[in-house]
Amino acid sequence: MSDREGQATAVATAVRLTGDGPLEPLAQPQGPGGDHPAADVAPVRVVSRRFRRQRWGMFMFILPALVVYLVMVILPSLQSLQLSLTDWDGVNSSYDYIGLRNYEEILGSGRFWNAVRNTLLLGLGSAVIINVISLVVALLLDKLNRGQGFFRTIVYLPALVSGFIAATIWKYMLNFNFGSVNTLLRDLGLGDLAQDWLGDSDLVVGVLLFIVCFTLGGNTTLIYLANLQSVPQELVEAAKIDGASNAKVFRFVTWPMLAGAVTVNMTLAVIAGWTIFDQVMVLTSGGPGFVSETMAFFIYKVGFGEYRAGYGSAAAIVLFIVVIVSTVLANRYMRKREIQA
Amino acid sequence: MSTQSTKAQRPASRSSIRKAERVRLGRGEVVSMVVLAVLVIVVSFPVVYALLNSFRNYAEITRDPMGLPTSFRFDNYVRLFQDTQYGEALWNTLVITVGTIVLLIALVPMAAYGIERIGGRTSRFIYILFIAGLMIPFQVRMIPLVSAMDDVGLYSTLTSVILVHLGGAASFGVLLYCSFIKGVPTEVEEAAHMDGAGRLRTFWTIVFPMLMPVTSAFIIIQALGLWNDFFIPLVFLDSSSAGTINVALSRMMGLLTSQWELIYTGAILAIVPSVIIFAAFQRYFIKGMSIGAVKG
Repeated sequence: MSDREGQATAVATAVRLTGDGPLEPLAQPQGPGGDHPAADVAPVRVVSRRFRRQRWGMFMFILPALVVYLVMVILPSLQSLQLSLTDWDGVNSSYDYIGLRNYEEILGSGRFWNAVRNTLLLGLGSAVIINVISLVVALLLDKLNRGQGFFRTIVYLPALVSGFIAATIWKYMLNFNFGSVNTLLRDLGLGDLAQDWLGDSDLVVGVLLFIVCFTLGGNTTLIYLANLQSVPQELVEAAKIDGASNAKVFRFVTWPMLAGAVTVNMTLAVIAGWTIFDQVMVLTSGGPGFVSETMAFFIYKVGFGEYRAGYGSAAAIVLFIVVIVSTVLANRYMRKREIQA
Repeated sequence: MSTQSTKAQRPASRSSIRKAERVRLGRGEVVSMVVLAVLVIVVSFPVVYALLNSFRNYAEITRDPMGLPTSFRFDNYVRLFQDTQYGEALWNTLVITVGTIVLLIALVPMAAYGIERIGGRTSRFIYILFIAGLMIPFQVRMIPLVSAMDDVGLYSTLTSVILVHLGGAASFGVLLYCSFIKGVPTEVEEAAHMDGAGRLRTFWTIVFPMLMPVTSAFIIIQALGLWNDFFIPLVFLDSSSAGTINVALSRMMGLLTSQWELIYTGAILAIVPSVIIFAAFQRYFIKGMSIGAVKG
C-alpha cells in the first residue's frame, strides 16, 4: 500500500528495533487478555503514528471474512426473526404477517415443551455426566508417570468417532430382534431384560442420554488434564504435610484450581447439548410419536418436514433465547465461583 | 507421542517429588492404567463390533448377532462402492472439508489480524459481532439460508454447504486467532513494513508463519468437525446429490431393507480418515488443545 513512506523512515525504526527486547513471539502465545498489545504501550513516534494511520487500510483485511459472516450468520438470523412473525410454509413465495401467534402456539404446545424437557435432560444431563467422566479420566491420567502419552492417545481415540457414527452403530446394536444387546441378554439367560430400547416411550430418552454419554470425553479430558498439570505441586505437598487426606487435597486444592477449566468445559458442553440432533435423527427420528424430540429436531421437523417455516423460525428464536440466557447465566455463576476460589 | 514436551513443561520440583514417591505411587499407577484400559475397551466396543461385522454378510449378522467373522473378506467394502453412492459421497465430503478449510485459512487469520492491529472501538465492535456467532445455533439461521440458497440456485450444491460452514466456523476462528495475535509483538511487522513490504505481504510472509501453532490446531479441529458433520449437509443436499458420507449412511438407514453389513462397513470407513488426521497431527492437536485450555 504505502511502501514509499515506509522506506523513508526505515532508518528511524532500525534504531528502535535494536533497542527493543528479543523478538520471540512464539514464546508467549497467549498474551494477557483485555488490553491491546505492544503498539499502544510503545512510545509514540512519527513512525508508529504513520504506521497506525495506515491501519485504517487494514479494514480490507477484515472485510472478506466479515461479509461472509454477515451474509451467512447475522443476516439469516435476523431474517428468522422476521419469518417467525409470519405463516410462511417455506415453499410459496407469499406469506402473511400474523404477529406473535406462532410464539403463542409454541408456548401452548405440549409437543414443544416435551422437546424442551428432552433438551434439558439430554443437554444438561450429558454436560454434567461427560464432565464427570472426563475429570475422572484426567485424574487417572495425571497419576501416571510412565506411559502417560500412550494412555492419553488411546483415551482420546474414542472421541474420533462422531456422534453420528456412534449412533448409527448403536441403532443396529439396539435392534429388538437382531441387535447384539438383546441377543447378549438372551444368551445370558436374561431374556426378560431384553427391551425394545428405542421403541419404548419410557426408556427412549434415557437410552439416548446413555448413548450421548458413552464417551471418554476427548477434548474435555485434554482440557482438564492440561489444567491439572498446571496445578502447582507445592500446594499439594503443603496440604499433604499439613495432614490432608487425598480426598481433602482434591476438594480444597485441586478442585478450586480447576474452576476455570470447569467453566470452559461446562459452557462448551451445554452449548453443544442445546443443539443435540444427530443422535435423535439417527436413532429415533423423534419417535415413538414425538416422545424423543429435542428442540433442534423439532425445528428441523416443523420447518422442513411439516412445511411450517414461520412456526419453525419462531421455535428457532426461542432456542436462541434459551442458549443466550443459559450461557450468560452459567458463565456469571461459574465466574463468581472462580473468584471465591 | 508428546510425553517429552509435557514433562519438560512441568516445574522441576514436581518431577523430583514424583521420583521420590515412585515406590509408593507404583500401585496407584498400575490401578490407573488398568482402569483406563478397561474404560477404553468398553467405550470402543461399538466400533470393534462394527469392524467385525463389516466382514460378515447380512445372513450371518442376523442369524448370530454376537458371532465372529469366519473369514476376512472385503466383499462388503467392494459392494459399498459398487452398489451405493458411497464413493461419490466420500469425494463430496473430502471436497467440503478441504474447500472449507482452505477458505477459512485464507480469510480468518487475516481478519483476526486486522481486528487486533486496528484496535479501538470499531474493531472491538467487529470482534464482538464475530464472537456473538458462537451463541447462534445453526438451527436459528437454517430456514432462511435454505430459501436464500434456493433463490440464488446454489441449493443442493457443495458450494452452499461450504459457504454455510464458513460462516459458522468464522466465529471460533476469530476467537482463537485474536487471542493468539494479542501476544505477537508488532515490532517485527513494523520492521518488515519499513523494509518495503506491503501490508498484505507483511502479513503472509511474516505474521502468518508465526501463527502456525494456532493454525494447526484450528485446521485439525475444523477438519474433524467438518468431516463428521451431519446436520448441515443433511439440510442443504437433497437427493439430486450423493450427499456426504453421513448423509449417504442416513439414506441407507432410511431404506426399508437396510443392509446392515454395508452400513457397518460405511461407518468404519467414515472413521478411518479421522484416525489418520489424528495420527498425523496428534502432537499439534494435543498442544493446540492445551493452549486453548490453560487460558480458560
